[in-house]
Amino acid sequence: MKTTTAERSRARSAARHRDGAAKPAPSRALRARLRRSSQWAAWGFIAPVLIYLVLFYAYPLYRNLDLSLRSYTVASFVSGDAPFAGLANYENVIKNPTFLPALLNTAIFTFVSIAFQFAIGLALAVFFYRTFRLSATLRALFLVPWLLPLLVSASTWSWMLNSDSGIVNSFLHALGIGQVDWLTSPSWSLAAVLIANIWIGIPFNLVIMYSGLQSISPDVLEAAAIDGAGGWQRFWRITFPLLRPVSAITLLLGFVYTLKVFDIIWIMTRGGPATSSTTLAIWSYQLGFGSLLPDFSSAAAVGNVLIIIAVVFALVYIRARNRLEST
Amino acid sequence: MTVQRGMTVTITRKARTIGAALLALGAIAAGLTACSSGSAPASSAAGGTYTFWDPYPQYNATSAWAKLVSKCGTAAGVTIKRTGYDTTALTTQALLAGQQGNSPDILLVDNPVVSTLASAGILTTTAQNGLATGAIAQNILGAGVINGKTYGVPIGANTLALYYNPTILKAANVDPASITSWASLTAALAKVKAIGKKGITFSGINTEEGSFQFLPWFWGAGANLTNIDSPQAVAALTLWTTWIKDGYAPNSVIQDTQTTSWQEFQTGQFAFGENGTWQKALAAQMGAKVIQIPAENGGQAPVPTGGEFFTIPVQKNTASFVTSAKIVSCLSSTTNIVTTDNTLNYVAPTKAGQAAQVSADPGLSDWVSAVGVAKARTGDNLGTKYPLISQQLWTAAQKAESGAASPASALQAAQSAATAAIAK
Amino acid sequence: MRRRAWWLTAIGVLLTAVMLFPVYWMINVSLTKTANMRKSPPNLIPVDGTLAGYTVVLHQQLPYLGTSLLVGAGTVALTLVLAAPAGFSLAKLHPRGGGALSFVLLIAQMIPAIIMAMGFYVIYLRLGLLNSVWGLILADSTIAVPFGVLIFTAFMSRIPDELVQAATIDGAGPLRTFFAIIVPVSRNAVVTVSLFAFLWAWSDFLFANTLDGGGSMQPITLGIYSYIGNNNQQWNAIMATAVVASVPAAVLLVVAQRYVAAGVTAGAVKD
Repeated sequence: MKTTTAERSRARSAARHRDGAAKPAPSRALRARLRRSSQWAAWGFIAPVLIYLVLFYAYPLYRNLDLSLRSYTVASFVSGDAPFAGLANYENVIKNPTFLPALLNTAIFTFVSIAFQFAIGLALAVFFYRTFRLSATLRALFLVPWLLPLLVSASTWSWMLNSDSGIVNSFLHALGIGQVDWLTSPSWSLAAVLIANIWIGIPFNLVIMYSGLQSISPDVLEAAAIDGAGGWQRFWRITFPLLRPVSAITLLLGFVYTLKVFDIIWIMTRGGPATSSTTLAIWSYQLGFGSLLPDFSSAAAVGNVLIIIAVVFALVYIRARNRLEST
Repeated sequence: MTVQRGMTVTITRKARTIGAALLALGAIAAGLTACSSGSAPASSAAGGTYTFWDPYPQYNATSAWAKLVSKCGTAAGVTIKRTGYDTTALTTQALLAGQQGNSPDILLVDNPVVSTLASAGILTTTAQNGLATGAIAQNILGAGVINGKTYGVPIGANTLALYYNPTILKAANVDPASITSWASLTAALAKVKAIGKKGITFSGINTEEGSFQFLPWFWGAGANLTNIDSPQAVAALTLWTTWIKDGYAPNSVIQDTQTTSWQEFQTGQFAFGENGTWQKALAAQMGAKVIQIPAENGGQAPVPTGGEFFTIPVQKNTASFVTSAKIVSCLSSTTNIVTTDNTLNYVAPTKAGQAAQVSADPGLSDWVSAVGVAKARTGDNLGTKYPLISQQLWTAAQKAESGAASPASALQAAQSAATAAIAK
Repeated sequence: MRRRAWWLTAIGVLLTAVMLFPVYWMINVSLTKTANMRKSPPNLIPVDGTLAGYTVVLHQQLPYLGTSLLVGAGTVALTLVLAAPAGFSLAKLHPRGGGALSFVLLIAQMIPAIIMAMGFYVIYLRLGLLNSVWGLILADSTIAVPFGVLIFTAFMSRIPDELVQAATIDGAGPLRTFFAIIVPVSRNAVVTVSLFAFLWAWSDFLFANTLDGGGSMQPITLGIYSYIGNNNQQWNAIMATAVVASVPAAVLLVVAQRYVAAGVTAGAVKD
């Protein structure tokens, strides 16, 4: 009689429950054959992604590297033969007076963004974790900013932060605070794009941290409550440490994505005034596409600097995580 | 664990269908790669389809412009496939296409970009493509002339002037005819502010528009683009920063494009708005009038030419140039160009065209005279140096406007950066 | 208990209101007459409103919306087809060098979009994919696939090994195991990845502008951008387009969020 897979596995687990014995181990030859064939299978499943990676990530990266290691003019860009320039483009980029402000702005923008996005996302996740009336609906509504195209979010924030006719300044005026030139003052432009970026990033953190909370067994927290631990203690001593793996990956992804952020800043301030809101991503685009005479080599060099910074941080993260896991 | 039979089967079938579709796509893609690697698709064939790129994405297939283009194509015996690109993306698209041997047959680009594309070697000269340029006013043609060779013909010209709101000026007791210098303009702004209205709006954003709007004041002070930290240049920038500081110009000019600046002017709260020919229809609607931008010490300030150029990119099949030139000539013939320029709100580039326009609309004579004294940004043999200088100029202007640096130091930094960029 | 719940709901509503204020502002602007756009201070409620923006949208933008839906759906399909098997492999089949692959996928997410777009232009020109919907689907999937692999790997490593081994011992190959066991169980991860992929494709502007700038089928981001043109900025039309563009995505979100919350798991998120 042919049994279905389902029936057989049901029978097996029933047998397991019955006598608690482990299932019979496969023979050595079988195990070896399984291991070899499973390697083929393993790589077979990965093959599409691998081809995809080579075609669509490796090729643009290679072209970018080539652009940055030669000095391309518009003419040589079209004809394709540009002289090899070694690291000259990178030297020029680093010596450029825009480099230091761009680097600084990138650092501030990234770290402040992630800190606030994560903290607020986590706080909201904890808040919404308790079920109260409308909690599911409100939680879903919180994700709405996420589904607006960035073009729209950035334009809306530009409108709201307009010096003369923006609602934010009207609100501040009602509170007695003077006019803040959010987008046109070098002191405030970075803050303005930070606010917009944090707003856009909260839903992502909320979703991931909320699901992280869901995977924590409530028994642990109940036991702590019975033992007399208060709400804040329960969070800090139990919940937060248990969330560490999720937090780590959220922060890492947040870092990688924020480093690349372009649309929001470009639409709101174009990196201005002066270089007050120029990040490395913005500068790269400015060099390549922001003027009438594109400078693709420098743009590529700045882009690669950005990637190198990201890679360094990723390596640091992995090293730190490995060390943490081995303790 | 039970797996519902039905669900398994459904998912398996769906997954298989998706998988098959992907395989099919992969096969097609592989086939295309094998076929077309190394050779670009031919863009023009005798009696076939010609590609036409322009920076007017706002004109779709039903617009008057699109119909005119296809009419000229039919007259030349071919079908035209027209694509409207965003003007800022068009330069890169043209360069990438040129690199891959995929240039369009006719390319309409903003005039300061012509020298960039010409130096990239992707444009043909009038000697190669046979376009006639005799009737075109020299100062309008200027942007297309590099090192003595002409790379395109203008579709028309536009330029800048000062629109003003007659109601506000009357209420402030200002006579527009008296505004002949910077001093008289600033005095007028003070009078306007005194009656509670706003003074002037312009575009000071960190893009080519910002440079474009700054140039009348820059040139009006007697400054030259080869030396952007001269005392005259500093004087021009100081004029703008003083206006912002004294409240005659709003803070928003730092971020305004010409369009947003115009929208501010349209609220009716501003006495003056620096803007271009293309707003003249809207200006007539709101009753605004025009005076020329004054130079520092009297007279008309030189103003920059705007407007696009027809160019014919290099193709492997040189026989296509004849047809392309025919299409361009059709579009720029006197009758057609008057229709086109009236649609775009440009001034025609030929005397005959201008006469036709003025006879139909006498109000245009202000603009015709403005265009008469206009000069190309890439003129004075600046060519591809202009974009490098312009970028530093708008950066310096915005820096000074926002108070991040004084006009003198901002322009000094700009000049050294420009020199370094040009030397590279 | 009820009083406490009421208190929480009130705070929740307040927080949501603050968070969604820009969205409300978007709707407000979409109903504002062009003449009132620069009113200072601006109207909190669109008194003297107009539906002109929405009229423009309904007449002009629907094809763009259709294209965006098509691109979104295609991106989801492609992402799932690529990422789910890879996640299964990394989680259960343990290929040698799997760790390196995970690292490479992380690096892949670090490449700025403009670098990708420039590279794609050349590839697409050779493959004839420029100005096509398929090209956009392919490009948008590059945003979602690495993340998808991460989510699937994390989720699938939490599937009990017994399930997989039971099928293997029964003689099922990895393919059968994948389709019969893994995929049905991973429904939450599938929904999560689908949602992210759809939203990222929906929001993309850079790839659309570079690779489909002259196409006849363009997504909604280009439709919105066409209103921010050189000589025309119809803000109520722009915001109306945004509102209309948000509706399908909002519907999707409300339907799918139940699965999303449960889908992204903690604990086993390892490279």
